[in-house]
Amino acid sequence: MIQMKEFSFQYASGKRPALKDIDLEIRPGDFVGVIGNSGAGKTTLTYAINGIIPHYYPGDFYGSVLVDGMDTVETKPEQLAGKVGSVFQDVDAQMVASYVEDELLFGLENFGVPKDEIEGRLQEALQRTGISDLRYREIESLSGGQKQKVAVAAIIALRPDVIVLDEPTGELDPESSEQIFRLLKSLNETYGTTIVVVEQKVGLLCGYAKRLVLLDQGRIVMEGPVREVLKSADRMEEIGIHVPRVVSLYKELVRKDLFHGAAPIHTAEAEKMMQEVLS
Amino acid sequence: MKGLMNYFPGDTFLHRMDPRSKILFSLLICIACFVTNDLYVLLGVFVLDLLIGVFGGIFKQALKLLKGLLKIAVFLFILQALVVCTGEPAFYIGKLAITWDGLKTALLGVLRLIDITLPLALMISLTRMSDLSNAMVSRWHVPYKYAFAVTSAIRFIPVFTTDLNGIMEAQTARGVEFDTRNFFKKVGLIVPLCVPLLISSVKKIETAAMAVELRGFNLRTKDSSSKVAKFRLPDYLLLLLGLGLIVLTVLL
Ligand SMILES: Nc1ncnc2c1ncn2[C@@H]1O[C@H](COP(=O)(O)OP(=O)(O)OP(=O)(O)O)[C@@H](O)[C@H]1O
Ligand SMILES: [Mg+2]
Repeated sequence: MIQMKEFSFQYASGKRPALKDIDLEIRPGDFVGVIGNSGAGKTTLTYAINGIIPHYYPGDFYGSVLVDGMDTVETKPEQLAGKVGSVFQDVDAQMVASYVEDELLFGLENFGVPKDEIEGRLQEALQRTGISDLRYREIESLSGGQKQKVAVAAIIALRPDVIVLDEPTGELDPESSEQIFRLLKSLNETYGTTIVVVEQKVGLLCGYAKRLVLLDQGRIVMEGPVREVLKSADRMEEIGIHVPRVVSLYKELVRKDLFHGAAPIHTAEAEKMMQEVLS
Repeated sequence: MKGLMNYFPGDTFLHRMDPRSKILFSLLICIACFVTNDLYVLLGVFVLDLLIGVFGGIFKQALKLLKGLLKIAVFLFILQALVVCTGEPAFYIGKLAITWDGLKTALLGVLRLIDITLPLALMISLTRMSDLSNAMVSRWHVPYKYAFAVTSAIRFIPVFTTDLNGIMEAQTARGVEFDTRNFFKKVGLIVPLCVPLLISSVKKIETAAMAVELRGFNLRTKDSSSKVAKFRLPDYLLLLLGLGLIVLTVLL
């Protein structure tokens, strides 16, 4: 679905490349979590997928980025937008309307969804994000978390093949964060939507994502299935990423030769691990 | 600014009417008030304005607007009463004669001012900005880009205000005292904050522009809107009322 080959990018006003020598393949139906420190290039990676780079930010673009076979350099962003839905880091700035309903209608109307289909799509998106009761509310009057859900709803209503989200749970409480990720997972499972999500909360991410990409100073330092990447938890800690506590525990148990299974991701697995160790 | 353009949510028949007829009606009233010199017509329109407030469920808002207009009205009244000096004197202030003509002109002027301002302000309070811009684009063929620019500008005002407050709070925490009584001092303190505000605003607008385009802004045509404004019986009646008023003023 997304192929990056020897891709490097440096913003015109940047002093060094924001992304360097990226080789990444994301297959249809993947659920990829992107982690890394501030300034590692996570946002830039999402920009490369939705075509903001190079179309809005000029700079030095090397290599190639293909989305569903289309070269992002040659494809117009709005054409790409039919394939890739984007949720930005800044919640306030990405709102286009004053009312929740209009916010969802904007994209649906623009992309020419048949008028008799619009109402159904709108209701479904609101329901899936759990904000049906906010439909007629003024966006200005919503909390940061509610706005974030509106932003996600506006994108899923368009049913894109790929959704890229840049820290979609930045302003959410733990329960709402889980809710967003459960939603992403169900989209991923029912429609086969490819998900690429930047997330600071590694523990949360590991419970849902299938693969992880770890960025550091513009380079991919690790990439692979979640459990594989978690095996190198030491390396992550070196870089400065907060490793989930169960994973630290797992590393400790493996180091002391007490446990030999795979790294646990969910609490249930952690429980099983502990039972095995204790027995 | 905020009070004037604010939308007051509701579900009255005035809320549900076509935005176009509300705007047209206000304009018709404006024209009628400019043309007429009849005190009774102006008084009638004043009552009509209050009725809009009542039926729209925003009577309180109407009174607030009136109160806001009061200062200008008083000033205008005194000015006109002093300037016009034809006709029978009503009373004297020192050697200056205040005439009946002057008083009448002044009263007409004040009523006209109120009658022209109120309808448009009230109708806008009863109309969602997005509905108005939708109707203008799909029916009056106003280019969507312009309509969107105007609605976005209005929408971003509170966002920027929040930003400015955030910056001011941060500065207050560092010991800057914004609550000074001295107006010039206050301005001197706030102006330098415009630089960080400008930077964050430009960034926000940049993101906004990208978000808008990635959601198909450029693909939009005048027929894209799914909510189509339509004239119904109340709309025709309202326009008839406005036209009737103009005919009346011309005949009188
Ligand atoms: N518009 C821009 N112009 C110039 N340089 C930029 C621009 N945007 C980002 N950069 C630089 O590119 C690098 C990567 O930035 P990016 O925003 O992708 O990081 P990030 O991983 O998303 O960080 P954060 O976690 O803070 O959001 C940084 O060094 C940053 O300074
Ligand atoms: Mg970022």
